[in-house]
Amino acid sequence: MEFLQTSLDGILFGSAYALLALGFSLIFGIMKRINLAYGSSLLLGSAIAVWVNEHIGLGPLGLFLVTITAAALVNIYVERLCFCPHVGKTGVTASMIASFAIWMQLDEISSQLLPQRTHEFPGIEIGSVEIFNLYLRGDQILNLWIAIIAISALFLILRCTRFGLLLRASADNPETAKLLGANVSRIGIVTFAIAGFLGGTSAFLILSSDGHVTPLFGLWSTIKGLVAMMLGGVGSLVGAVLGGLLLGFLEAHTTNLFGAEYRDISTFGILFLVLILRPGGLMGVAHYRTDRLAHERI
Amino acid sequence: MALPQTQVGATDMLSVSNLTTSYGLIKALNDVSLVAKEGQVTCILGPNGAGKTTLMFTLAGILKPVSGSVQFDGIEIAGLGAPKVLQSGLSLVPENRLVFPLMSVRDNLMAGAYLRHRSKRIEVENDLEKMYERFPVLKQREEQNAGTLSGGEQQMLALARALMSRPKMLLLDEPSVGLAPKIVDEIFAIITQVKSEGMSIVLVEQNAIKALQVADHFYFLDQGRVSFNGNPNELENEDVIRRAYLGQ
Repeated sequence: MEFLQTSLDGILFGSAYALLALGFSLIFGIMKRINLAYGSSLLLGSAIAVWVNEHIGLGPLGLFLVTITAAALVNIYVERLCFCPHVGKTGVTASMIASFAIWMQLDEISSQLLPQRTHEFPGIEIGSVEIFNLYLRGDQILNLWIAIIAISALFLILRCTRFGLLLRASADNPETAKLLGANVSRIGIVTFAIAGFLGGTSAFLILSSDGHVTPLFGLWSTIKGLVAMMLGGVGSLVGAVLGGLLLGFLEAHTTNLFGAEYRDISTFGILFLVLILRPGGLMGVAHYRTDRLAHERI
Repeated sequence: MALPQTQVGATDMLSVSNLTTSYGLIKALNDVSLVAKEGQVTCILGPNGAGKTTLMFTLAGILKPVSGSVQFDGIEIAGLGAPKVLQSGLSLVPENRLVFPLMSVRDNLMAGAYLRHRSKRIEVENDLEKMYERFPVLKQREEQNAGTLSGGEQQMLALARALMSRPKMLLLDEPSVGLAPKIVDEIFAIITQVKSEGMSIVLVEQNAIKALQVADHFYFLDQGRVSFNGNPNELENEDVIRRAYLGQ
């Protein structure tokens, strides 16, 4: 029973990791570049929302909307500055280093916005539910639903819309997509905006269940998102969702077994194991065998 | 440089004058002028590095020319960029096919009609059925990833994808490259069929003998310049090839 309870807690929390990893994976899949400033963009988005909340007051819905909008806007700013100028050139390292620099800038702006280290991030108060002796926090169930809706929306957009078709085409073969009339500059903006919405949703879910935000959230979410993405398989969206859930699951169990101070060590240990046994991540191998283009670009 | 003389009768669909394209300091195309007529196959021949693919990319709007003009169907398209060039009715089938390997055959074809999706949804669906009629093998492989098709099937897919944009003129860059002789014959049969339906085609080929069989007019490109041009009927194929590759 304890095992079930821990697994459930882990998977509920893992749904937020899945959103983080999806944002990373989307950017990597389409631009073939790692965005190191991703976590900091989410931090700044949340910091803006908290700042607005402290000055004029927002309800939970308002806080959510401001968080995801601000995160998307900051993400677009990062894209214009670090990624857009290098599209179509061999600027893989240039983009990554530029995003590292922007990471520092965004962290600094966030600290200026929220001068004391800890600020309240009001959550949604819902009582817990008990099913078959399993306790579920109400807000975490809500989080799971929000994550499911966001993930389904992303997959629907990619599968069923004209723009999704174009995004998949650009991820597959950017040069040819250009040939078929794709506006590469617009694809970059929309990709980063979608990643911002996903990441902003994730930030809201995580911060509202923590109840507070600190400037460390930027680095923390970059690492969690990257680890979840690598576990699942770099560039694979289904893999990102699985990786996120798996990370939540593993963290809950290692915390339960060894205590919170060993949580990250155990998680990284498992990541190393996965990377040794399946270097492309859990879902990444089949993907990479056929994806010659991605191979050349890494 | 004066525009070259071509047959009378058909109207000029594409006329290129004094086109120059550079990669940095190197001029890949140097003052190229040529004309492609409506309903005809105009063939561009030349050895490796002559600038054939550069010419195709410049016409399709991928590369920006340094100078010169490209008139297509009455409008100036030089330097407009790929989306606008495609919208004006000029569609490129790139060298080595370049299909989307991880997308289904159907999605590849739909991506070809990307610019028409919003306004003409039903028309696009109809065109898709027409492509399946013309290339039954694509219908069979509809849900398969394009990367799993054979070279010849990928070439058909690339051709069908280009036709999905309902072009007025097709630019074919080396459709026979890397294919077995029997498949090459099939591809050229399709080119002849597309031409007989009234499509104007600019064809780049290394396989000069095959290309001259379908061409109405040819240009020979050497080191970024048009070295000579003519009508395949006026010259023996062997003469063309001798003049072209041996410089006689």
